[in-house]
Amino acid sequence: MDNSTLLQSAQSLLSPMTERFETPEPEQLNAYLPVEHLLEAVKAVLSAGEFYLATITGLDVPPADGQEGQIELLYHFCCGKVVVTLRTRVNYADPAAPSVCGLIPMATLYEREVMELFGVKLTGTPVTDKLLLPDDWPDGVYPLRKSFKGFENGKPVISEGA
Amino acid sequence: MADIQIPTRSPWQRVLDKVRLWSLVNSPWVIHYNSGSCNGCDIEILATLTPRYDLERFGVKLQGSPRHADVLICTGPVTRQSRDRLLRIYEQMPEPKLVMAVGSCGLSGGAFRGCYNIVGSIDEVLPVSAYVPGCPPRPEAIINGVVQLLGSLKGN
Amino acid sequence: MESTTQKNKFIVPIGPQHPALKEPGHFEFTVDGEIVTSASVRLGYVHRGIEKGAESRSWTQNLYLVERVCGICSNIHGTALALGVEKLAGVTAPPRAQAIRVLVAELERIHSHMLWLGVAAHEGGFDTLFMYSWRDRETVMDLLESLTGNRVNYSANVIGGVKYDVTPELADSIRRGIDFLEERSRFYLKVVTSDETFLGRTRNVGTMTKEQALELGAVGPTARASGVTMDLRVDAPYGGYVDFPVSAVVEQDGDLAARFVVRIKELFESIRVIREILDHLPEGELTARVPRRIPPNEAIIRLEAPRGELFYFLKSNGTDQPERLKIRTPSLCNWASVMQLAVGHKLADMPMMLVGIDPCFSCNDRLFTIKKPGVGRTNSEEVWTWEDLRLYGIDYYRRRAI
Repeated sequence: MDNSTLLQSAQSLLSPMTERFETPEPEQLNAYLPVEHLLEAVKAVLSAGEFYLATITGLDVPPADGQEGQIELLYHFCCGKVVVTLRTRVNYADPAAPSVCGLIPMATLYEREVMELFGVKLTGTPVTDKLLLPDDWPDGVYPLRKSFKGFENGKPVISEGA
Repeated sequence: MADIQIPTRSPWQRVLDKVRLWSLVNSPWVIHYNSGSCNGCDIEILATLTPRYDLERFGVKLQGSPRHADVLICTGPVTRQSRDRLLRIYEQMPEPKLVMAVGSCGLSGGAFRGCYNIVGSIDEVLPVSAYVPGCPPRPEAIINGVVQLLGSLKGN
Repeated sequence: MESTTQKNKFIVPIGPQHPALKEPGHFEFTVDGEIVTSASVRLGYVHRGIEKGAESRSWTQNLYLVERVCGICSNIHGTALALGVEKLAGVTAPPRAQAIRVLVAELERIHSHMLWLGVAAHEGGFDTLFMYSWRDRETVMDLLESLTGNRVNYSANVIGGVKYDVTPELADSIRRGIDFLEERSRFYLKVVTSDETFLGRTRNVGTMTKEQALELGAVGPTARASGVTMDLRVDAPYGGYVDFPVSAVVEQDGDLAARFVVRIKELFESIRVIREILDHLPEGELTARVPRRIPPNEAIIRLEAPRGELFYFLKSNGTDQPERLKIRTPSLCNWASVMQLAVGHKLADMPMMLVGIDPCFSCNDRLFTIKKPGVGRTNSEEVWTWEDLRLYGIDYYRRRAI
């Protein structure tokens, strides 16, 4: 299957669950969808072609203009030159998303990383041990959120807002 | 379970019996620990054992157990996770013992200065006797560092 | 990767100090007699907080930070960032710069594979091969030094192009150097395919079928040794690889011996591409102008590092600092595959299997524990160093006259 057919197939399989699509490059597809449809979307991508999950990226969207803070999760699926990214957002107040480990067992490493660095709860993920952060890392401190500013005198510095 | 070989009477042990504690210049046993570096310094340290540089002709032996080591060669900005292990290794070494910090990261945090998971320079954790700057330092610089360290002890 | 807390299991932690691997990490193996029944890995010893640190440095400063993610594959990280920023800004580096980038990348691949060959041989107790390959590797280090000024962390990239040019004299010395390396690589290929002692440690050890490789998400030479044709330089050529294509080296056996063969054959392929670049180096500028402030945009860059697929996600926000820089290194995927694969293999094979994926801890950052089920209700936890495990492996095979 060539690249454009692959992309079209992925797009058509994803359209029932997706809010909107973007094609930043000829071989890249961004699909913005609500977190409830995440698992179906993952199944759709995996059935569109021989895609593999490259990684899960977390993006912190700090609170601004009265909007509460959110974390955007990007699931990058690759097949040759084609990259399909599923994008979903969760709120700071209840940062929960379903784990994709039931469909992709090896996703556990990426999920552990996103959980400890951003504070997202991925329900159903098999392992919740720390992957990268040290054992004595303080609870509730998520280093890759914009509000985390480092340590001072051994205590984490967290600023309000961004 | 470790079958680490210990020669019964090595030259430095005989010297040590006769002279002051710091005379271990004849054949120091070295242990290497990476406290969080990118590996650049570590591969240059390993390169000093290879035929072109050959650290062993100076009598320096790189081996695996802290309990038989005189010199700890440490690289890397100490990450929070490595800090305890680094201290534990240092404590397991018998006196007299020396620490050599190799690479810019060990001196000041290097390129990672300010990153959240590092303590900083090695001398915030251990007493360092010799610093070898570079990113990474060439094998010749590392050998020079070892020889100078031993030379300075000879002078005492 | 579960850290099992089953009763009646012996745990042998192998501490984060590895004279051979030069990198800290913590593994846990549960063994039943000689056979490994489960394995897990704890990373975190080399976690420095680079992704966060990148957000408070400018893009140019980040080039230097990102090169030090890993000293062995530092150039590919720098290239990924440079390509990423160029993509964000909508700029393309000139053809001469792209060709020189490929040249340095292939020289780095040669250095990385030879380094790995030596370390892997050392793990198997084959110190002669370790010394030979590292001595020959010095040739590549000299070439890189005459081109870029440093043996490790070359900093050949700038955002928009490269810093260093290839003069005709330099081109000649590179040609001489790689001629020598080609001859030595033929010798190494002969050794790994015909030396009986070596084959005793590598043939049919750690075999991963094609289906397993796909399911476990293996990348790079580890996957190519199992018949998976996955090489980003071929599937999704980037930069200079469009003009100077390479072919993927694939083996079918999937065992440790195949992984050795794949990497050595890749040396030949790299040498061929370097010769082609030197013969057909395009004329022109070395850099293109890139604005200091990068307009808000996102980019995904995927490159073929010596260990497999390197994935970068970059997001800019209109300033000269990144909004987000996400790095996913190849060794992370391969760790997962080998930890699954370890189950059912002998403990004595562990050092060779772990080194067979060409692990780069600092690219990920990771330790050993070995759990042995006790007799009755006794649990035994033994603390092993990596040296213990390595010597255990060598001794095990020596007793069987291999």
